[in-house]
Amino acid sequence: MRLGRTATILLLLTPGIGLIVFFIGAVIYIAIAQSFGYYNLLGESGYSLEFWETLTGRKAYARSVRYSLYVGFWSAILSVALAYPLALWLRKPFTGSLTVSAILKAPLLVHGIVAAFLFLNVISFHGILNQFMVWTGIFDEPRRLQNDDNAIGLLFLQVWKNMPFALLLLTGAVQAISDDVLHAAQDLGAGAWARFRKVIAPLSVSAMQAALIIIFIGALADFTFQTTIGPTNRQSLAQYMTFFKERGRWNDAAVVGVTLMALSLVGAIVLAAAARLIFRGRLR
Amino acid sequence: MPAISIIDVVMRFDRFTAVDHVSLDVEEGEFVTLLGPSGCGKTTLLKLVSGFLQPTEGRIEIEGRNVTGVPPEARNTAMCFQSYALFPHLTVAENIAFGLRQKRLPAAERRDRLADVTGQVDLGDHLPKLPNQLSGGQQQRVALGRALAVRPYVILFDEPLSNLDAKLREQVRYEIRKITRDFGLTAIYVTHDQSEALAMSDRIFVMNGGRLEQSGAPEEIYRHPRTRFVADFIGSANVLDAEVVGEIGPNLWQVTTALGPLAVSSETGPAARRIPVAWRPETARDGAAAHNTVEAVVRHRSFQGHFTDLIVDAGTTTQRLQLPRSAAREGAQITFSIAPEDIAFLEPDA
Ligand SMILES: Nc1ncnc2c1ncn2[C@@H]1O[C@H](COP(=O)(O)OP(=O)(O)OP(=O)(O)O)[C@@H](O)[C@H]1O
Ligand SMILES: [Mg+2]
Repeated sequence: MRLGRTATILLLLTPGIGLIVFFIGAVIYIAIAQSFGYYNLLGESGYSLEFWETLTGRKAYARSVRYSLYVGFWSAILSVALAYPLALWLRKPFTGSLTVSAILKAPLLVHGIVAAFLFLNVISFHGILNQFMVWTGIFDEPRRLQNDDNAIGLLFLQVWKNMPFALLLLTGAVQAISDDVLHAAQDLGAGAWARFRKVIAPLSVSAMQAALIIIFIGALADFTFQTTIGPTNRQSLAQYMTFFKERGRWNDAAVVGVTLMALSLVGAIVLAAAARLIFRGRLR
Repeated sequence: MPAISIIDVVMRFDRFTAVDHVSLDVEEGEFVTLLGPSGCGKTTLLKLVSGFLQPTEGRIEIEGRNVTGVPPEARNTAMCFQSYALFPHLTVAENIAFGLRQKRLPAAERRDRLADVTGQVDLGDHLPKLPNQLSGGQQQRVALGRALAVRPYVILFDEPLSNLDAKLREQVRYEIRKITRDFGLTAIYVTHDQSEALAMSDRIFVMNGGRLEQSGAPEEIYRHPRTRFVADFIGSANVLDAEVVGEIGPNLWQVTTALGPLAVSSETGPAARRIPVAWRPETARDGAAAHNTVEAVVRHRSFQGHFTDLIVDAGTTTQRLQLPRSAAREGAQITFSIAPEDIAFLEPDA
């Protein structure tokens, strides 16, 4: 009877969840299989560690992993760090708060590529930023700001694009904390920072984790921003992957793809655990 | 120097006045109660003292220092919140120790205080639990323990016992008094339970509609209510509109009321010709007497253990009396009397 019921439930779920599981599973399976030499579109198919061995031995691969992790982590952390004070500021409604929060969320409606082009215009050699800096005398002459080596411009855009998303999640979580609870902390001697550290952050840690993970995974695999405004001497993993694809080296591309997925998983776990450990003092 | 001075404080929310020109002093180590009906501004007054609200007018001094603009975390006060306001992510022990950590007390001292407080509020078995694993009364005791543990200069209680059963309430009431006395804490205690106020306080402040109606020692408030509101609110006195006929003896006044003619004993005499008078249900005496004998019909009777509560029709009105031993059934005719000294003139209505 129980077995029958379970079977029925599974059967009923198959058209929906089954399809999702099938497609995700298929993609992951193909990527992993390809990285181990199967589904070789050019040469001979068969199990081989060759692609992993040669690629992981390359400097470009290691650099690309490091660079993507750098972009992923900083995008996630800076977006959340910026969204918190804004979420707290918008916790209680005030005149104009609706307008402010609408404006802050506007980047959600602007596509990354459009924003990147606008940004390029602003920071270009003869763009308004350079003109302004020269006019104020901070710069003696226009400087080359685009495609900077440390990816500052890219991180700026990542944060600009992702912060509203973090804000959306955090506002909800922060609004759920009652005034009296914050008052109690304050009454017991907790200043603004202690209140954040000991009450607000621990009580909104789930939203924080969600924001960190989703932004991290997105920024880790960034392609659009990287190709328009990223440093020209660095390659993100996504860029590296397309580089192989364009040369028809599907197995190498698959190695990078699997790396990307593995880093997403590990990075997400690390970020989530760190957030919980730092702000909640325990993992459960 | 008073521990707390509230000086002509007004608190307005938009156009609504929640606290209306209140002035009061609390001496160091004193235990005072704010007593009043729901919505009269008790919590608001506590929040003004703790610093969560800034008065619209007037000022507040703690230890002689004007605290206007001093944030709550910098005031040496701790409040036990009406809504408990426990930290949902912290265990009972962590909740209680929160203020101690904030004060950077050494670990040994924190442990001692935690042990003391958990004994006092009877939470020993629940230290590792989270607030949502506790009953309402237990949560309330955590809130109480959290405030008591820090032993602040001023401790503010906002109806801290409302959710406890009668027996526990009495026990915790005793503990609160003991702790505040042992550590010389100055306390403002908010309640709308008059028996709690009478039992615990050095002084009671009766509030009504944002105003202070009367203040004084419990006995004084109880024996000499000044206004109709205080008389009715504390001990639910019978209040009658009286018309003064004249003085019929030394300090003895004749009045007419809906209950019939009454003799009232008063040293100062009535302040007006039409004036409310009050007498307490438990001062009624069974049977006739030299003054103020009343014939009445029992409308409602409820046995309360050590007395019987009777609602009676007498004259053209309904009164309440409490007799120690009364066999009178509903509908029965009874005779009772009130001594002239048990009837008091109140302030004329505004
Ligand atoms: N933030 C606020 N904004 C507007 N009105 C408020 C605010 N806080 C309190 N009030 C009003 O002030 C009045 C007094 O409120 P307060 O909470 O002090 O009452 P209370 O005496 O503590 O009542 P209770 O016994 O029910 O707790 C109430 O009428 C309430 O509606
Ligand atoms: Mg209240």
